[in-house]
Amino acid sequence: MPNSRVNRVLCVAEKPSIAKAVANHLAGGQVNTRNIRGNPYVKNYEFQYNFQTWGACTVTMTSVLGHLLSHDFDARYKGWKSCDPSQLFEASIEDFVEESKQPLADNIQAQARNCQILYIWTDCDREGENIGTEIRSVAVKGNPSLSQPGKTVRARFSNIERAHIVNAARNPIALDEAQSNAVQSRIELDLRIGASFTRNLTLSVQPMLRQHFGNDDQGVISYGSCQFPTLGFVVERYLRVRNFVPETFWTIKVMHEKDRIKVNFRWARNHLFDRMVVVILFERCLTAKTARVTKVQTKPTSKWKPLPLTTVELQKCGSRFLRMDSARVMQVAEQLYQKGWISYPRTETDQFDRDMDLRALVQKQTQGGDWAQFAQGLLNGGFSQPRSGHNNDKAHPPIHPVNFVNPTQLTQDESRVHEFVVRRFLACCSEDARGSKTEISILYGGETFSTTGLTVLERNYLDVYKYDRWTSSQELPRFQEGEVFEPTEALMDEGKTSPPGYLTEPELIALMDANGIGTDATMAEHISKIKERQYVETRARVRGARQDDDDEAASDGEAAAAPEAGRGRGRGRARARARGGRGSAEGRGATNGMQEFIPTTLGVALVEGYENMGFEISLTKPFLRKEMELKMKAICEGRKSKAEVVHETIEQYRDVYIRTQQRLDTLRAAVRKYCFGENA
Amino acid sequence: MANGNAAEIGASIITFLTAKGIPPTQAWLQTFLSSVRLTTPVVALQQTALFQIRNADLQTSIIRSASTVLPPGITDPEAKEKHIRGPITVQVLDVEDIGRSRWSQVEAIEAQERGETTKGREVIRVVPEENGPDSTAAVDEAKSAGPHKLLLQDAGEAQVYAMEMLPVRGLGLQMSIGTKLVLKDFTVARGLILLEPRNVEMLGGKVEAWDKQWREERKQRLKAKAGMREEG
Repeated sequence: MPNSRVNRVLCVAEKPSIAKAVANHLAGGQVNTRNIRGNPYVKNYEFQYNFQTWGACTVTMTSVLGHLLSHDFDARYKGWKSCDPSQLFEASIEDFVEESKQPLADNIQAQARNCQILYIWTDCDREGENIGTEIRSVAVKGNPSLSQPGKTVRARFSNIERAHIVNAARNPIALDEAQSNAVQSRIELDLRIGASFTRNLTLSVQPMLRQHFGNDDQGVISYGSCQFPTLGFVVERYLRVRNFVPETFWTIKVMHEKDRIKVNFRWARNHLFDRMVVVILFERCLTAKTARVTKVQTKPTSKWKPLPLTTVELQKCGSRFLRMDSARVMQVAEQLYQKGWISYPRTETDQFDRDMDLRALVQKQTQGGDWAQFAQGLLNGGFSQPRSGHNNDKAHPPIHPVNFVNPTQLTQDESRVHEFVVRRFLACCSEDARGSKTEISILYGGETFSTTGLTVLERNYLDVYKYDRWTSSQELPRFQEGEVFEPTEALMDEGKTSPPGYLTEPELIALMDANGIGTDATMAEHISKIKERQYVETRARVRGARQDDDDEAASDGEAAAAPEAGRGRGRGRARARARGGRGSAEGRGATNGMQEFIPTTLGVALVEGYENMGFEISLTKPFLRKEMELKMKAICEGRKSKAEVVHETIEQYRDVYIRTQQRLDTLRAAVRKYCFGENA
Repeated sequence: MANGNAAEIGASIITFLTAKGIPPTQAWLQTFLSSVRLTTPVVALQQTALFQIRNADLQTSIIRSASTVLPPGITDPEAKEKHIRGPITVQVLDVEDIGRSRWSQVEAIEAQERGETTKGREVIRVVPEENGPDSTAAVDEAKSAGPHKLLLQDAGEAQVYAMEMLPVRGLGLQMSIGTKLVLKDFTVARGLILLEPRNVEMLGGKVEAWDKQWREERKQRLKAKAGMREEG
């Protein structure tokens, strides 16, 4: 193998900020910055660098702006009425450089001519791998030798801290073609499926809307294989709330006063939905007169520190604690990453590598910020290895701070997200909170009641992670096992079930995550998309009892809550883009800022229209898309080829398309019902 | 007993079933004997008889006598507490999960009708298999924590409610309508039988027609009850 000398290397990053940061780290300050023709953002950075692999080289570091290539149908299919939408399943697709990106392509092609090595510095994820192959395809046009094995390499890095970057520069690896292929299949599938269904949907529904409302405002009604299931979740919850029927339940409450402390005992059966039964059981309690203590148990308990931070967790916590929607949180996190303050914010990994020097990272946070003292405490002996979750994407560590930054250098949103990332990281490196829990159970007329008391002994991670709450309860009086007493008070009470709340963003993200809709990197986009399409609207959730069940998306909303007076029930039509019609709830106090999703009439109509078509596989259910995500994974792992996946998936959707085509009347009926308010 | 005579076989079946707590009526026994081959070994006939009588309506198949039916006045709400020795065999006419709201049960049934179930937050497609009904029963059972309230009927005139005070194995929504239970040494409070594992023996069985109808109408019944409560 001819070992031709290497003296010029072309490095290409995914964005200008990364190119600049990497160039500065490698060059150590000796950088010539040059503008490129036709684009004000992308620069070429020239410097000398001694690579371990190739020795001293002249380096040009430049970047693209995300994807370099675009993909679209052949000109003859571009017109909306140029062909039957189903032809788009097999119509030829062209790959091309969009006009705005042409200067970047020209620059790479020109720079490639003189160099022997193309060094890709795109983000290390599927998308980055694909952008890397796009860059290569352009560079090869200027310098065909770059397509030879070993001539195009990539850097493996997950943050832009200096030592990490230098280390990445020393250890080039190969581009991952499988991951790139997975992205290519996804792009092709999204284009074909999205375009065919969108055209079909728009051509069927848009004229009706225009005619009914007498205007031309109604734009494209788009379909996306992630968007629709996402919308499906929102509508499903909405209908559950609207259709909800409250029911009465009954319970038995026991209170005993001892040592001047009133202790409330909770019925082990919680509550029952049969009055007669509760009345009889209650009578048996009263008849028994006395209760006997069956258990007094005090045991140590702890509240676990959080797991290392993943993208999905960051997005959920963003809505919950910072009141930022997922798209915004990701945007801010991306900025913090590009500036070098935090690690790459797109990761599924919730375990830190054992080799990582976490103490060194903690050390950096002792320089300032409200958490400096806490961080110092960790170094003085409080440090504890983080818990490990079950996920590892083998590409990036959990999101963590890589450097200290003075918060005054950050914008307000940046500083809030940064603070969260730092506090979360320090919490991970801290000890669990510890306490002692006492449980007392009594037997009263054959029924069991119990009460618990908590004493927090060591707060540990809670001191830095202000987002979690764990507080001591009222102290319990001393009870002895076997002790018999006559309860001070026993009464039968009743309550009503309340409906679940509308879907909140953390819940929606959790649903998407559990059902394989989108990846951690794209979920926020899908959510923004259905808002932008006006399929759903968000509004601030009203502070109330229901706020507590954020973590209980799966529960059936039977918390004993305030009565829901004034709630219109029945199969309600959605309020067309009108806000705040939900009866008395609106006036009931402050909002806590968490957003909840309400579908528009069009959103409801689309979901119901497709669902009423009655197929085994509905487009608004997650199943088809989940299968597709699994197939992407199969490509990455080398179990399937790109061609196989594209073919199988297209056939599946084509099948659904044909059947949908036969039942478009169902969709139109749903539009008439919800958007026009006509009776079905 | 290759050439067993009918009377002898009949007697052995009566003894066998009576020991199980289901003494058959003469009419039922005659019908049974006329439907089987008497040359079959008696042990096998006893098992067949047990199987069939479990699936029959108790009212027409079990002897009514003071010792086989619930005492009169059992449903009297004025009676605070009664103890009954038994054993008495009863059959299940209705079962309800009173630990969950009716509406949540309606929602679960509707999800099932759409071919979905959930595991945590994940929506799972229920792919119908050959043993379709069983798999749906399994889903139902998993979510039915109880306690359950039952409507029971004896061989006589009584229909009485019962409540599962402690979880009884095999008792739940997956249980067939027409299931036979043997009760002994139990308490009745204000007309409500209190069930515990120690006082119930599940004999099993099913009255096909009742069960079918009960399952078909369950959703409607739950809806009606959920709505009714709400009005009151």
